[in-house]
Amino acid sequence: MIGQVKKPIEEILGYLEGKRKIVIYGCGGCATIFRTGGEPEVNEMKKILVENGKDVLAAIPVPFGEFTCYAPWSSKRISGYRKQINDCDAVLMLSCGDGLQVMREIIEKEFGLIKSIYPATNPVGHMGGGPSLFKEKCIQCGDCELGKVSGICPLTQCPKGLLNGPCGGVRRDGKCEVNPDMDCAWVQIYRRLKELGELEKMNEILPPKDWGKARRPRELEVEPISLE
Amino acid sequence: MAEPFRKILKSGKFIVTAEIGPVKGTNVQKMIDNIELLKTKVDALNVTDNQSAVMKYPSLGGCLFIKEREVEPILQVTCRDRNRLSIQADLLFAFSRGVENVLCITGDALKMGDHPEAKPVYDIDSVQLIQLIRNMNSGKDLAGNKLDGGVDFCIGTTATPSAEPIEPQLIKYGKKVKAGIDFVQTQAVYDLNELKRFVNYSRKINKDVKILAGVVLLASAGMAKWLDGNVPGIIVPRSLIDEMAEVPEEEGLSKGIEVAGGLIKRIKDEEICDGVHIMAIGKEEKVIDILKAAGIPGD
Repeated sequence: MIGQVKKPIEEILGYLEGKRKIVIYGCGGCATIFRTGGEPEVNEMKKILVENGKDVLAAIPVPFGEFTCYAPWSSKRISGYRKQINDCDAVLMLSCGDGLQVMREIIEKEFGLIKSIYPATNPVGHMGGGPSLFKEKCIQCGDCELGKVSGICPLTQCPKGLLNGPCGGVRRDGKCEVNPDMDCAWVQIYRRLKELGELEKMNEILPPKDWGKARRPRELEVEPISLE
Repeated sequence: MAEPFRKILKSGKFIVTAEIGPVKGTNVQKMIDNIELLKTKVDALNVTDNQSAVMKYPSLGGCLFIKEREVEPILQVTCRDRNRLSIQADLLFAFSRGVENVLCITGDALKMGDHPEAKPVYDIDSVQLIQLIRNMNSGKDLAGNKLDGGVDFCIGTTATPSAEPIEPQLIKYGKKVKAGIDFVQTQAVYDLNELKRFVNYSRKINKDVKILAGVVLLASAGMAKWLDGNVPGIIVPRSLIDEMAEVPEEEGLSKGIEVAGGLIKRIKDEEICDGVHIMAIGKEEKVIDILKAAGIPGD
């Protein structure tokens, strides 16, 4: 999932300065889980904007399970709000940056409209866990190393992303130099490999990473799934 | 001309290197004065590379001042601030100007320094950096392209003998040895048993790698405590912090010199390893007093 937090309301109101008629759009995926763009947050945002003198033409909550970043779903849902989008001064997205940009493209390509569109959240990483605590586990490097490192990603868990073992800054008790509350990623990997009886794997020198596989922007072409 | 550091490493003598900390700015006179002061007292001088992630005058610039004064410079290269292209380009420049020794390090985390908002690089790590230099020594860049005019670096790295648990550190050190190093300088050691444990391990896997024990000058009990709590990889034993605290404040520095000198003397007399690397952190001129306290005569 895309971990996310709410942007400060002052920042959002700053974007909307001079814009009176607003459409708010939420997300039934990650933003609902992270409480940044579910139905309660969409309603709350509507209230705040009205209190700040805005005319909210539509506040569109998205049912749980419907990801705003998935264009077929968003395209279908927004199609009922063409008039409001046409009339609004700005769209405020309570989703991650994927959701926002997918919606921008739908508005541009399907409605033929160029509209101001602003984010209400700050995405903070590809996260797993829950229901309350989430941790960043993957940086989507394009060439998964987990098979070589006992299922713990040092590119993500080590703030330096080291592939060949711990740095010299590791603290007493194997804590991380950067985050003393966290075990050093390589101490974690070492312990797991030892438990697995595969410690010899740690002796292998991993070569410099091919960051070409993470060259942005990446795109994928897949056979569409059936939504029936 | 100074004797190449590679040759000094093989000479069998007790090796002494020291660290020059660059200035933040262009007022390089103090650095030059320290180099002048130490040039006949040590076998080589290291210049730190944005140490503690604090932006300073570059290691390469400091190394050129050292080279001009006919001492062997050791270029410190961290993986934090430069990608593989930039590192290789800097190495070509260094070698072309007579800087032939390089110390490969990961680099302290940006969070520790004065530009915590910067984007960390770590495109390659210290093991890969050693491999990269070995590769350049054989005439090729990392992409396999032939160099028009090669390099022949003497390669060093660091190790942390006091880490807990020590095994992951030793495994990583083993990879550095396998990648091909000529020498290692350790993080500050105060517990000589930990140093011996590291030396035994290193000599077991490769007896030719020369080991320089890191000695950091403690200027006061406060500094000892601060280093212990704040500088990655440095562990100052409680007993030593207490010992430092027992002397009056104004005698802290002399006490620190005595402690550092005593450590060096023991390392030398007991032949624990091949030499020492003295880090006087901002008090480079005191290296002379430390060596005196260690009973090592200057030239």
